[in-house]
Amino acid sequence: MKKTKIFVIMLLVAALFAGLVACSDKKTDETKAPTTEAEATDAPETEVATEAPTEAPTEAPTEAPTEAPTEAPAAALTGAIHVYSRDAASGTRGAFEELVGFEGELTDDAIVTDSNGDMAAKVGADQYAIGYVSLTTDFAANNIKAVSYEGVEPTQENVLSEAYTLARPFNYVTRAAGDFGDDKKEQLVKAFIAFLTESAEGANAISSAGGIVDAAGKKPWADLKADHPIVDEDNSGIELVTVGSTSVEKAIRAALETFQPMAGNFTFKMSHAGSGEGPAGTVGAEKDSAKKGDIGFTSRPFKDTEDVSQSMSNGTFCLDAVVICAQVDNPIANLNKDTVAAIFKGEVANWEDIK
Amino acid sequence: MNKARRRKDIMRTSVTWISAALAVLVLTSIFVFVFKRGAGTFSWSMLKDDYWSKNYLVAFGDVPANDFALPDADNEDEFFSRKFGFGLADSVDKENNQLMVVTTISAMSPLHEGTITTAGPDQGKVMAIPLDARIRRIDYLDQDNNVKSTGLLGQDHSAEGAIGRLEQEATAIREIYFQSTGGGIRGSIIATLMLIGLTLLFSLPLGISAAIYLHEVAPRNKVTDWIRAAVEMLAGVPSIIFGLMGVSMLFRVTNLFGITTQSVLLGSFTMTIMLLPLIMRQTEEALIVVPSSLRMASLSLGASTTQTIFKVVLPNALPGILSATLLSMSRIIGESAALIFTMGTAISDSPKISQGATTLAVHIWTVMAGEQPNFELATAISLLILVLVLGLNITVKLLTYRINKKWQV
Repeated sequence: MKKTKIFVIMLLVAALFAGLVACSDKKTDETKAPTTEAEATDAPETEVATEAPTEAPTEAPTEAPTEAPTEAPAAALTGAIHVYSRDAASGTRGAFEELVGFEGELTDDAIVTDSNGDMAAKVGADQYAIGYVSLTTDFAANNIKAVSYEGVEPTQENVLSEAYTLARPFNYVTRAAGDFGDDKKEQLVKAFIAFLTESAEGANAISSAGGIVDAAGKKPWADLKADHPIVDEDNSGIELVTVGSTSVEKAIRAALETFQPMAGNFTFKMSHAGSGEGPAGTVGAEKDSAKKGDIGFTSRPFKDTEDVSQSMSNGTFCLDAVVICAQVDNPIANLNKDTVAAIFKGEVANWEDIK
Repeated sequence: MNKARRRKDIMRTSVTWISAALAVLVLTSIFVFVFKRGAGTFSWSMLKDDYWSKNYLVAFGDVPANDFALPDADNEDEFFSRKFGFGLADSVDKENNQLMVVTTISAMSPLHEGTITTAGPDQGKVMAIPLDARIRRIDYLDQDNNVKSTGLLGQDHSAEGAIGRLEQEATAIREIYFQSTGGGIRGSIIATLMLIGLTLLFSLPLGISAAIYLHEVAPRNKVTDWIRAAVEMLAGVPSIIFGLMGVSMLFRVTNLFGITTQSVLLGSFTMTIMLLPLIMRQTEEALIVVPSSLRMASLSLGASTTQTIFKVVLPNALPGILSATLLSMSRIIGESAALIFTMGTAISDSPKISQGATTLAVHIWTVMAGEQPNFELATAISLLILVLVLGLNITVKLLTYRINKKWQV
């Protein structure tokens, strides 16, 4: 009896130990650089060497090598398509699925990446990959290329001229005039909207955060400032509240931060939780509730059900484009809507099946 | 004992052992995970810094170019402006945004003598650009006296490009827009403390009085049992439902105080209702432990029931009530779902009772919900929460141990 007890204890200790090792292994994967350096001293390179090659060959070779090299670049790629997608919380993913029209139908085989940079890096390292990134991504550095959509190349000009359709507007809507509860706040909102939509500084701030704006025709803020004397007052007691889409958060934060020292250090509170709350919290049903805001934002056109006509002002302040990407060596150059939907739904599984 | 029976016994006991080991394993792996990812970010400056960067616009009155010596220390990533005597380097923040950071400033550099242009009490004051300032835009004059700008909000998006352009074209610096380093959690710590204070202020008197009524005053009948059952049931209601109730019903109550947005007060009202069952139950447990001989003795000495309750029973139940308080505190620290509705998700650096703010747990939610989730900060906050909750739980254990010892005769 005692022996069995000892046996069971040893078994448990072994299980615990194995579990701990497995769990700490996972961590070393995530923070590869520092740990491999540390390990290098006592286990020189053997581990590093065995790790790398085992991953690569299992994925790639079996289907490809015989054909690809001999038939030169013109030939189409053959093999299974590796679909890459963003995590479910991503605004880019939401926009992409909506614009291409396969919401909720993403194939279960899709590999989920957790940021724009992560997606670019992973697609760049996988010959059979297809994914989508924001237009501001550094394509060359990540070894990826942009694929045209419906025959139109994704460039800033094409997005601005609306020829490239995988794009969406970022819209703003303010409260109704006289509904801000404070005249100074109303003037400040007016000044901020002018800064956001008309000034060169505002355009720069938005584009630094990834938004696409037409810089031509924007005036320096110094010229616009005269119409908004409020910015020369001490506004530190005023708090602007923005509500609405989470996708616009980065661009709006950049614009608000840039505007803050130009307009008397007003404070701002960004309470973004989704496009629907933008119009609702300013001119809609929620405008006097706990979710109310001074300026609302959507990362899509206003819906018919959202009546923004009462607002002091509303409109589009920038555009956002999603670009389908593949590794540089991939011969694919153009895809149309139906094919993209079919690929991401998993209906087209191999590169040779793309017409 | 036959063999088959023995094998069965061993299997049964090993199942219990394995389950226990699994629980321990999960706990350790959570700690390993949080420590590995969060310990690097966890620092004193994280605890005391603001979350939002401060924005500064500083003018230099067109100070002309000069000739500065290169700094002695050689820094590979740094690009140095010999005209204006400062060095910049590229960097990225935790959310993967590109930054341009000031790495050196020569002693005589004009960067030490900027004037704040932002309207307000500080307007016109002299401000030196600090090291580690995040440069966003530099406005300069070129040879033809045109104002041009460089930096992340200008034409060049790297330190090399910006410095290169200054060296080539600039004759004078006009204005610099920079940000201080943000990313701290001071505001959320304060908001958490405010919420704890307010919630305990409301819930302790309510919960303790109700528990005294149920245990000492109320007649032992169906109605009392029914009330007790209702309280037990309240404990099982998911917190998100309390959040919904808070934002739709209690919001009207806070409206009476002139508060029109989500606020710390609204959060504390909601938490009060959530904590009532916990406090009532814990207090009742503590009252049960007080020996009835004490009550008898008090009554037989001629004290009234009320006097007995408040002067004899309650003081002796105090350690139990204290442990209920500590448990409530850790519950408040850990709550997120109800607070997202009632206190909002906007991080505030100077929280006020009448305005929304995030507690530590909701701060995690907010930094993880964006396009670029900030894992490091989130795990660093988790580390803080784990340590706090662990500390509170250990205190509760010690208290309980003391009570048990006291009444064990």
